[in-house]
Amino acid sequence: MKLGIDIGGTFTDLVLLEPSSGQLFFGKTLTTYPDPTLGILNGLKELMSLHGKSVAEVNTIIHGTTLVTNAIIERKGALTALLTTAGFEDVLEIGREMRYDIYDIFIRMPSPLVPAALRKGIKERVDASGRILDSLNEVEVIETLKALVKKGVRAVAISLLHSYANPSHEKKIGKIIRSQFPTLSFSLSSEIMPEIREYERTSATVMNAYVQPLTGHYLSQLKAILFDTGFKGQLHIMNSAGRLTTVQGACKAPIQLLESGPAGGTMAGVFYGELLKKKNLLAFDMGGTTAKASIIRNGQPEITNHFEAAREKRFKKGSGLPVRIPVIDMIEIGAGGGSITSVNHLGLLTVGPKSAASEPGPACYNRGGELPTVTDADLVLGFLNESYFLGGTMQLKREKARAAIKKHIASPLGISIEEAAWGIHRLVNDNMANAARVHIIEKGLDPRLFSMMAFGGAGPVHAYHVAQQLNAPQLIIPAGAGVLSAMGFLVSPIATEEITSYISTLQQINWTHLQKKLDGMNKKGRQFLKKAGIPNTRMSMKVLADMRYAGQGHEISVSLPGIKLSEASIPTITRAFKEEYRLRYGRDMEGIPIEAVTWRVLVSGPLTTLHPKQSVVGKHTLPLKGKRKVFWGKKYVDTPIYDRYLLKPGQRIQGPCIIEEFESTTIVGEKGIVSCDKYNNLIMELL
Amino acid sequence: MRRKKSLKRFDAIELSILWSRLISLVDEAGTTLQRTAFSSVTRESADFAVVLMDSGGQSIAQSSVSVPSFLGVMPFLVKALIKDYFPLSVWKEGDVVITNDPWLCAGHKPDIGIVTPIFRKKRLIGFIGSIAHSPDIGGTLWGAGAKDFYEEGLYIPPMRLFDKGVKNETIFSLIASNVRAPGQTIGDILAQVAANDQGIRGLHRVMDESLLDEIDELGESIIQSSEKAMRDAIRKAPDGIYKSVYQADGDGIKEPIQFVCTLTIQGDEIEVDYAGTSPAHSLAINAVLNYVFAYTAYPIKCIFSPEVPNNEGSFRPIRVSAPEGCLLNAKKPSPLGARNVTGNLLHGPVVKALSLAVPDQVQADCGAAVWVMVLSGKREDGSEYVEYLFLAGGYGGRKGLAGPPTLCYPTNVANVPVEVFEHDAPVLVTEKSLIRGSGGNGEYPGGEGQRFAYRNIGALPIHISNVTEKINHQAYGLLGGFQGKKGNLYVRTAAGEKRFTPPKGHDYLQPGEELVMELPGGGGYGRPKG
Repeated sequence: MKLGIDIGGTFTDLVLLEPSSGQLFFGKTLTTYPDPTLGILNGLKELMSLHGKSVAEVNTIIHGTTLVTNAIIERKGALTALLTTAGFEDVLEIGREMRYDIYDIFIRMPSPLVPAALRKGIKERVDASGRILDSLNEVEVIETLKALVKKGVRAVAISLLHSYANPSHEKKIGKIIRSQFPTLSFSLSSEIMPEIREYERTSATVMNAYVQPLTGHYLSQLKAILFDTGFKGQLHIMNSAGRLTTVQGACKAPIQLLESGPAGGTMAGVFYGELLKKKNLLAFDMGGTTAKASIIRNGQPEITNHFEAAREKRFKKGSGLPVRIPVIDMIEIGAGGGSITSVNHLGLLTVGPKSAASEPGPACYNRGGELPTVTDADLVLGFLNESYFLGGTMQLKREKARAAIKKHIASPLGISIEEAAWGIHRLVNDNMANAARVHIIEKGLDPRLFSMMAFGGAGPVHAYHVAQQLNAPQLIIPAGAGVLSAMGFLVSPIATEEITSYISTLQQINWTHLQKKLDGMNKKGRQFLKKAGIPNTRMSMKVLADMRYAGQGHEISVSLPGIKLSEASIPTITRAFKEEYRLRYGRDMEGIPIEAVTWRVLVSGPLTTLHPKQSVVGKHTLPLKGKRKVFWGKKYVDTPIYDRYLLKPGQRIQGPCIIEEFESTTIVGEKGIVSCDKYNNLIMELL
Repeated sequence: MRRKKSLKRFDAIELSILWSRLISLVDEAGTTLQRTAFSSVTRESADFAVVLMDSGGQSIAQSSVSVPSFLGVMPFLVKALIKDYFPLSVWKEGDVVITNDPWLCAGHKPDIGIVTPIFRKKRLIGFIGSIAHSPDIGGTLWGAGAKDFYEEGLYIPPMRLFDKGVKNETIFSLIASNVRAPGQTIGDILAQVAANDQGIRGLHRVMDESLLDEIDELGESIIQSSEKAMRDAIRKAPDGIYKSVYQADGDGIKEPIQFVCTLTIQGDEIEVDYAGTSPAHSLAINAVLNYVFAYTAYPIKCIFSPEVPNNEGSFRPIRVSAPEGCLLNAKKPSPLGARNVTGNLLHGPVVKALSLAVPDQVQADCGAAVWVMVLSGKREDGSEYVEYLFLAGGYGGRKGLAGPPTLCYPTNVANVPVEVFEHDAPVLVTEKSLIRGSGGNGEYPGGEGQRFAYRNIGALPIHISNVTEKINHQAYGLLGGFQGKKGNLYVRTAAGEKRFTPPKGHDYLQPGEELVMELPGGGGYGRPKG
């Protein structure tokens, strides 16, 4: 059996898969602080005993956690030092010298993870071609490290100029640390992010060093605890690109775990896309504070190599610490159920990015929150059921929601409470649709070709109207929408991506040299997978090149056929690049040489295929729970309410209607026809 | 009468939704333009804008990442086109107009403006324009060194680049034959045309969904909301006449410059007059009035209405004047190439004057918006290179916040990574570090400047074009805060001796010579404690 465990900010989700029957078992428990492994134990015991299973039957556990992200946001990593080429100690603090908000004169820039006193220059120099101009003085390295250890440093990041072209100096320093300072953990920039651009590479390396001790400690503790419960299988860790790594891999490059939870959601989209034969899908996740969207194209998630951790100003591009690692390309906007809505000084309605979070929460939670939120609007409109929120475990107060909307929105704008609530619902949907549309168009794709898959507590409440805005043909509300990230873990492949920087126009590439590099990367990747128990015959590999027209500053990643490249490959590579370029930008160019900057080799294990059967515990016999008045924009309409758990495959319901389940509520407008498929997914056709 | 009707038609919710859709569509077009541009200036410094305008040329929405240079420029251009070149009646579907006239566009020839009319149901309903920094426009290499307007390359008066969809081959051929990198320059012009088309498609989509057939009423509602917010904010500031005098390097040798700024706040309007400012300069640092307007209005917007999206409304309450023929209202044939140095200094006098009115809302002076250096030459193998360097000084202190080190203001350009610089040109960077103590002391100190030095490691000289500032002057502190440290620029010869290199102008860096740049720190805010 296979078990996925996702630790989120509030809940720890578990999904257990029995491959023989395709049965899935879901569990949910509160995340425990400060030690999240307690929560895992609680959830595990509960799930196993409820379904009469034993941990010993589990062969693989796949885990994702917010540990790394939180440690960086809260600045709770180890005391870390940085060794750089002498004269470049401040590169980490200088950054890119650009403001992320051009009108805010009270701008705050993110503070570096390593303070000036712990950034030390080492006399050495390598040039852009990788030639050593100034060799490394080992005595200086040892003296510097001794002084840093005295200051209490536990981790060291090493980032020397041009180490992507020649890592020998960094490797030497690594060797010195291993032999003479065995208790220090260290990260080499040539291993963490072997790419040109010193600030980004240093930032990523420092971040890795900073979270390494705590990740190592956490994962070894988790391993021990799991083995204590009788688990004898393999523990794998989810990374930000929707791929799995080993515990060892995660300890070596913990920054790869930054976005493991959200990546799980997208991978679940990959799985459902496969199951339902939808090659193109927009995964739409709306929770309490944010909404996220990512696309799946031809059954694959879109990967980007640009990511920022711990943004100083939430949702503002450029305000975080950059990390160039493969990450699922995702947009995130400040529009969740808890997002606060207000009338601004222009007299306009706004939603988010401020959130009432879970404490005090929306006004209707009746926990002291006074400001109206998206959830309050959804309740006032009748979309939510005040006595069946989270399956009835939480009673909502409609009057509180009405009062908050009246005071802060309806009265200032001179409209009715219902009109205000409808406006909030529309605006938040529009914001999400705009963001998703830009995201899709930026890739040169057509939003109308993407079916939408909605999940997260508020996703199915808003998906119908967002899908309409995007002209999406179909909307899918998967079964298990409440534990979807953990579900995605189960279907993600084990994979590793090796990277090398080699900047050259296609005409000037030394193909023998390049091929040697690619072969080395392929070999390294295969060794990694072999250690994770994947037989050579089940591995697949892919070469990607980040390319541009010489003179441009932005590269696009192009997937290349085969592993053997030579001068004869130039026309094929050119064609692949131009095709991708045309797709994204609508045209290509003649007469300008094409330049490759970074080469990637992705070695992956097999994809897991599974055909789930959902196990449901329910007592009602009639799907129709009753009717309630719902405000659909112009007037109240008596709208039927159904119980999701009692819907049977083959049943079709014409909107408007509302379908309730434990963790969410699906809204079906008058142009929707919803049916339940054999896997208990809700499939909505949009007219 | 029409205005009243328009305000009734779009209620607050409708307006909120449509407004953000319009911004979203110009941003989509802008993103594509930035990503496909060859010009490193367009790309790295977001030195471009895409603007949607109504049928009278009033701006309704501007792409949100643009640098300040383009505030108000596009509507200024389109209004001039309608008035003096192409009256409304002659525009046809498929027309595209091009110009780089500095007095109509953004103040120097490399900035090319492309305007496309928007037709819906065969009626002209508005315009979309894009402006971007071209990779090359011919003439002497970009910098402060040109002696007059004519040395600064090709001048393109307003003309049709496409006539009813038909390419004007004459202009394309003329441009291609007059610039250094024709493929890239033409490529960027076509990218601008494509960005405009993309914006138009996006607009039609929004209009289809919202059942709109014209945008003037919607535009007017947006503009009026923005204008009201700006006026409300200005009204809260005390009325008065606030004066400041601000000195700067000029050529850094014998011809310094002085800005005199008289800023009047009266009710809900601000008037800025630059009478008393230095006359036009012999170096190419002269600015035209619409460019001066952009850099004067920019700090005012930052202070009074930072979060309102960019359109005509924010700027209606602001008036800017400068005596004809002075540094800030230059006329032909004054050279204009590096007018950005002057524009980037204008926040100095403007903020200094405003600090007398609204001391809690301003920052102390910044060390350097950005120093720009263009390197060009040949490698031993005969291949050529042109490389731009951008470096920032320290940011000024603000109430409650120290100034960050090395941060651009008012313009906004990313630096060139050391590794990329060394890859692109025959240089070895010997240092890039913060200059400790270079920020002005204060309760909230100014940010630190940086030292950046590189050596020519090739066998041939490197031609350099320097554009620096605050080598002879310091960034001011406010409310008892101290000045930042001034900058420094020199060459260290192969023998280890210091030699002079012009703060603004051309020089050759010989093999083995090292150029050392020390960028100024920002001013402190408030008297230092203790």
